[in-house]
Amino acid sequence: MLFNSLEFFIFLPIVFIAYWYIFKKRIRAQNIFLLVASYVFYGLWDWRFLFLILASTVVDFFVGQAIYSNDSNTKKKIWLWVSVLFNVGLLGFFKYYNFFINSWVDFVSIVGYDIKSTWTLQIILPVGISFYTFQTMSYSLDIYYKRLTPTKDFISFATFVSFFPQLVAGPIERASNLLSQITSKRTFNYVQCTDGLKLILWGLFKKIVIADALAPIVDDIFANYGSYPASTLILGVSLFSFQVYGDFSGYSDIAIGTAKLFGIELMSNFKFPIFSRNVAEYWQRWHVSLSTWFRHYVYIPLGGNRVGKLKSIRNIVIIFLVSGFWHGANWTFIAWGAFHALLYIPVFLMGRNRIYMNNVVAENRWFPSVIEIFQILITFSLVTFSRVFFRSESITDAFGFLEQIYSNFTFETYEHPLGYRMIDYFVLLGVFVLYEYRIRRDERSPFKFKSKIVRFIAYALVILGMMLFFDDNIDRSFIYFQF
Amino acid sequence: MKKLFLKSGLYVFLILIVLEGVARIFHLGKDTPTRFLDEHKVEKWVPNQNGFSVTGNRRQNFSEFHINNSGFNSYREFTPDQNRIEVALVGDSFIEGFHQDYYNSIGKKIENDLPKIEVYEYGYAGYDFADQLHLIYSYKKQFDLIDHVILGIKFSNDLTRDEYKVVTGRLALDTPINKLLKKSKLLVYCKSIGLLDPPQELLYKTRKFFRSKNPEKPLDEQEALRIKNEKEKTYLANFEGLIDKYGYDKNRFTLLLDSRITSPIFISYLEQNKFKYIDFSRSFENSKRSTTLIYDRHWNNHGRTLIAKVISTYLKKKNTGDPK
Repeated sequence: MLFNSLEFFIFLPIVFIAYWYIFKKRIRAQNIFLLVASYVFYGLWDWRFLFLILASTVVDFFVGQAIYSNDSNTKKKIWLWVSVLFNVGLLGFFKYYNFFINSWVDFVSIVGYDIKSTWTLQIILPVGISFYTFQTMSYSLDIYYKRLTPTKDFISFATFVSFFPQLVAGPIERASNLLSQITSKRTFNYVQCTDGLKLILWGLFKKIVIADALAPIVDDIFANYGSYPASTLILGVSLFSFQVYGDFSGYSDIAIGTAKLFGIELMSNFKFPIFSRNVAEYWQRWHVSLSTWFRHYVYIPLGGNRVGKLKSIRNIVIIFLVSGFWHGANWTFIAWGAFHALLYIPVFLMGRNRIYMNNVVAENRWFPSVIEIFQILITFSLVTFSRVFFRSESITDAFGFLEQIYSNFTFETYEHPLGYRMIDYFVLLGVFVLYEYRIRRDERSPFKFKSKIVRFIAYALVILGMMLFFDDNIDRSFIYFQF
Repeated sequence: MKKLFLKSGLYVFLILIVLEGVARIFHLGKDTPTRFLDEHKVEKWVPNQNGFSVTGNRRQNFSEFHINNSGFNSYREFTPDQNRIEVALVGDSFIEGFHQDYYNSIGKKIENDLPKIEVYEYGYAGYDFADQLHLIYSYKKQFDLIDHVILGIKFSNDLTRDEYKVVTGRLALDTPINKLLKKSKLLVYCKSIGLLDPPQELLYKTRKFFRSKNPEKPLDEQEALRIKNEKEKTYLANFEGLIDKYGYDKNRFTLLLDSRITSPIFISYLEQNKFKYIDFSRSFENSKRSTTLIYDRHWNNHGRTLIAKVISTYLKKKNTGDPK
């Protein structure tokens, strides 16, 4: 069930009303209901994959208890490996199996052998597998690192793993945040609910108006890059930057907003990354739940930056390569991760990787300084450049795309593949960037206006925008579902 | 909780009002003229209506229409006379031309090319060949005064009936409830951009889920070919039946068709039986620019110019006695 579908807008009010009216007296009843609703939500895609979620839930539930109850460090480690191997095994089979086989065949053919029969499988990637496996693993890891005591309530744990607002594309929650809320009593809070509705509205705007409206243009340019000049290719990849941001941050906003309706606060996933002043700040603002996951569970256990410079650089490279690989079984994502590591290392060596951690651009000012504008443009350009790898179907396509920019460095006006006015999209993006800049201090309050009338006008304009750019004929699924 | 529902309801209501206002101020939704059945049981638009046709989310195509005294979209009144040369264009929405300003229609373009003639556009969305011949039959006196009658025909759509009957489904579009709903420009706009399709689809899927027990099997190639041949035979028989019933003046009547989408059997039938026709397929094929609108398959200004040119050329040849 997609957040931007009619089915969801029938499903959500029913679940909301039942949750607060029928099941409000007992947490256990509320949790059972949330669990059933989450399984229905997921099962409408493909009910067969519910067994995977259930398996992952059962394994980590018992592994968590085994880690906690064992005094021996070796046994704790063994149990932790059970969880890691199981979850990574699921990912490995469903997401990476064919990739490894094909890469092996390619490698062997380079050496001079020709393997005629390969053992690739026709596997469908279960939606959200990269997200919920990481979430359940974090539970076992937190128990192993003694940051958490395991729950004895299976229902609560299963609800934590499958909580429908964030099940298929995050934010990847930690048990310390989400599970503790699921096991505690929730009371209806009017302000929290309205904040949730506002976030849902803003998320839908980002998805329908920004991401979906740009999709046909980006698809056309990437599919036919060989026949376009550099100006069009640069336009295409720049628009893709906005598309993927609108798509994924829109999803996250809807997820966070929906969770709020049930009295649950999820972690922020996007903090206006388009205004980042360097690549390190970008990673503190883009897909925060994944970046912090890798920091907590990979980077810090490897020694983080408390080891020597060389080892720290090694750790950074590992983090970015793994992060790239997490996105998909394709060399393009590994190249994308490697490129980001190359961007990050100089920032790290200059000691500028944490300087923007606690402030936003133009903090306490209306307008950014010239230097800040320059920094933002440079960061945006570099990140956008990396998206050539992120968006291309293969490494060959990515280099073909870049080669075409270099070899056909000319300017031509681009015409929309469906014949629409391009100016509409430029105006739209201009307004969107200015509005995001206006709200840049608080990613959870997209409609923070003192005047009720102004707020009302903003709601109406956002809905009008959705109507003006709504396209019934395009694929409405979210980009990050494929990961 | 009550406060949440009340406030949300109020906000939704106010936002709908604002959006209705916006849809009206910026004319986002199209105007639909009222239809009626005249004394001859001919369906047409109520005379003397004006409005705007809008296509696309952001008004990508915006044009004015004017329904004349005869109930058709045209800048001129239809007053055929023996002393003038008149041409009638009879057809469906392509001839009706709501997608272009009425003063820049195919007829006007032909008149610009051939200043001595008057073109009367009897176009009405949904008209098939039965509608067209029944119209001519019902207004025989008027049509007898017209020198050339050009009938737009799409073989696969327009020959599904062997006699004229009032299309009640089309008239039902003007039921009091529909008329009332059309008063909301926001609703008209939402419908036109497909925003109301998901609920309709969901309803359809739900009904289908409960009703159908045996899903339809896809046809194999041979079966599909057999059905196609059968349909073509029926359409041809319908064509013959309709001209028998309502009459067809081979000297004055000419069909306007696109041979790319017309059955070769029908074309050879026309040739064998000396039915005149204008084929605009080559003109469209050679066009480097798109001939249709962005949001729907109707001809755009360029497409209409090409059609007008093809007709003018035909008429010029005809007047000089040049055989087709």
